[in-house]
Amino acid sequence: MSTQTRLRACALAFAIASVPSLALAAGDHTHGHGKGPDIGQPGEAADVSRTIGITMRDNLYEPESLKVREGETVRFTIINRGEFVHEFNIGTATMHAAHQEEMMGMMESGVLEPDRINHAKMDHGGHGMKHDDPNSVLLEPGQSGEIIWRFPDHATLEFACNVPGHYQSGMVGRIHLSH
Amino acid sequence: MSETNLFRAAMLGTGLALALMGGAMAGEYNLTVDPVEIDTGEFSRSGIGFNGASPGPVLRFREGEEVTINVTNNLDQDTSVHWHGLILPYQQDGVPKISYPGIAPGETFTYRFPITQSGTYWFHSHSGFQEPDGAYGAIVIEPKDREPFRYDREYVVQLADAHPHSGDRIMRNLKMMPDYYNRRQRTLLDFFDDAGEKGVSAALRDRGEWGDMRMMPTDVEDLQGFTPLINGKGPEQNWTGLFKPGERVRLRFINSSAMTYFDIRIPGLKLTVVQADGSNVQPVPVDEFRIAVAETYDVIVQPVENRPYTIFGESMGRTAYARGTLAPQAGMAAAVPSLRKPPLLTMGDMAGHGGMDHGSMDHAAMGHGSAPQGEVDHAAMGHGSAPKKETDHAAMGHGSAPKGEVDHAAMGHGSAPKREIDHAAMGHGSAPKGEVDHAAMGHGPAPSGKMDHAAMGHGMMASGSPEPSDPFYAPGSGLRPAAANGGKFLSYADLKAQKPLYEHRAATREIELELTGNMERYIWSINGVKYADAEPIRLTYGERVRFKFVNTTMMTHPMHLHGMWSILDNGSGKWNPVKHVISVAPATTVYMETEVDAPGQWAFHCHLSYHADSGMFRKVVVEGGPDTASAASGMKSGG
Repeated sequence: MSTQTRLRACALAFAIASVPSLALAAGDHTHGHGKGPDIGQPGEAADVSRTIGITMRDNLYEPESLKVREGETVRFTIINRGEFVHEFNIGTATMHAAHQEEMMGMMESGVLEPDRINHAKMDHGGHGMKHDDPNSVLLEPGQSGEIIWRFPDHATLEFACNVPGHYQSGMVGRIHLSH
Repeated sequence: MSETNLFRAAMLGTGLALALMGGAMAGEYNLTVDPVEIDTGEFSRSGIGFNGASPGPVLRFREGEEVTINVTNNLDQDTSVHWHGLILPYQQDGVPKISYPGIAPGETFTYRFPITQSGTYWFHSHSGFQEPDGAYGAIVIEPKDREPFRYDREYVVQLADAHPHSGDRIMRNLKMMPDYYNRRQRTLLDFFDDAGEKGVSAALRDRGEWGDMRMMPTDVEDLQGFTPLINGKGPEQNWTGLFKPGERVRLRFINSSAMTYFDIRIPGLKLTVVQADGSNVQPVPVDEFRIAVAETYDVIVQPVENRPYTIFGESMGRTAYARGTLAPQAGMAAAVPSLRKPPLLTMGDMAGHGGMDHGSMDHAAMGHGSAPQGEVDHAAMGHGSAPKKETDHAAMGHGSAPKGEVDHAAMGHGSAPKREIDHAAMGHGSAPKGEVDHAAMGHGPAPSGKMDHAAMGHGMMASGSPEPSDPFYAPGSGLRPAAANGGKFLSYADLKAQKPLYEHRAATREIELELTGNMERYIWSINGVKYADAEPIRLTYGERVRFKFVNTTMMTHPMHLHGMWSILDNGSGKWNPVKHVISVAPATTVYMETEVDAPGQWAFHCHLSYHADSGMFRKVVVEGGPDTASAASGMKSGG
């Protein structure tokens, strides 16, 4: 993954993610979640085979599910057209459940408000408050973001919003991997 | 769409006709009000229902639809149907003597009104005790637009507290002997236990205080002996909703009880609350929630395991439970939890009495409020444990009965004949409004002596402590709930509107309503005046009124304003949720605001059936605004 792509994603996301971990760019696929399953990795712009637009609303995605090929590198352009903060996060159901705990903590500590992200608090928060994993973007209403993602060969993945209550309300979609 | 609900509607709604016409949506529905038999699995009795059954059918409307509902009275007494929570012209609201005369035996009344909202509501008779006798049903309104949540199937889960006695008989008994249905009275043996634990003098003082209140620590439910029902089924009859593992199931909880609050949980499942009183809220995942009488909560659950789950609703006083099941196949059942230990009211819940009844006694200073929640150790509350508090109780201005004598009956707990002490004269209910200085009364048992819910709410929520205190219960309250699994229990402070219905603005005036009562004589009132003696509350079209509820009683009152939304001030500002029932716990002050946007006259009352009937009720008159004819056809905007 190029640093340039990373910076661009950050700029689009109004720098909600702080400085990304270079270790991730260097090919560490665990994405800060420990030794998790293979969910893929940040992709190279040169490998992008297609771009998929994702619209986030309150509290849903358009489209509701995705079909990608094994090993495909996809550019996701994501826009939040809702009135609340939403996330686009690629992972397994288990990863999402763990991330929901973190985001509940962000909400309780005031880092995350229903319709805004408190950047000052985020920068001073401890682990779990940074929200800088490369497999996700967290967007305020009206903001856009981008992820280039290379999918693995085998995985059971979902894209999901882990803002408290959103996943449970159905703001989650299956990613169907095909040959 | 739920198969079971469709089935229920089809079975019960034999007279239900739905005619959708082209162009503007319009539906015609027929309801009959009938004598029915009610079988709870624990007892059978005659009662009242709709279309031949209790509960009545689930009426399914669509937002934007013009409905025509023909209600035929097959009883030998007058009846009425009120559409609880619906925004409609006042003549369609179904309250006898306020909206219309009611429906005489053999007559048919045709309701016509537009459906301007969506969500989960209910309907019930507003005549006498027909509702406690079984005359209730559910309303589900499909929204025009996509909802901010998704689900694969849905069920109405309508709770009730069926009692073997008729409502009329219950009211007679309560009037005659207010603790008639309180089976959990403290006994002489309890007294000896208390005395053993706290010492005789502390136990005596404690007893004396409760006696002066004409209340008992067990006064959480003044009506016991009921069988909780889910969709008409008692615990043994086990109402069951089917699911396929992995599906999201929307449960539309409606509390149609006469008197009973329930604490609801489904062991093994997180409940994501997405709607309260029919309006969407920002989703809150919880482990358990309390549903006041007449409220509705919609929750989404996602059972992933191929096994049954118990829907468990304990009554707030823990005297009974509602039980149903979510199951992958009919006939399955999961473990049924046992009832938790009953709560006992504490001196914290009594704080509303301070100053009124006790004159110089400063409850706050005595530290009553600081007791750990749920604990009932009055001695530890500073009541009597410290020698310096060895004040003569009688000298504290409590009243009349000389304390210190071990006349148990005279202490006011028993079922003994009631004493000559005029409770009203003690200042409980009849304090002329205006003379009562609430701040000075220390309704706030809080150290500050003042309880500002809005302000309290926020600091506490933001603190991020694992168990923040709930500003909607008095400090030290014995009623404050905790989740059975140690997890999250929904608070009013968690409810934030998903899409605010009204622009947030300052209220144009405040009206204070003191919730008052005389348990001794079973008179419930507002500002010490019962309905029969009260002037209407007059509002002006276009104003935004801030209602201040001050609960000076030791019971919890679900206050229901008809015709206009109740905007609960829970400190969420522009996201304060709109509701149709605002529950006010003992010794607390709660604020709600109302945009006065519905001309006509409306009912405003405690939704506990026997409290409303005994006087905790007002007529509200909205003056000015569009004339009612145009109001009826035009309706308000905003839906």
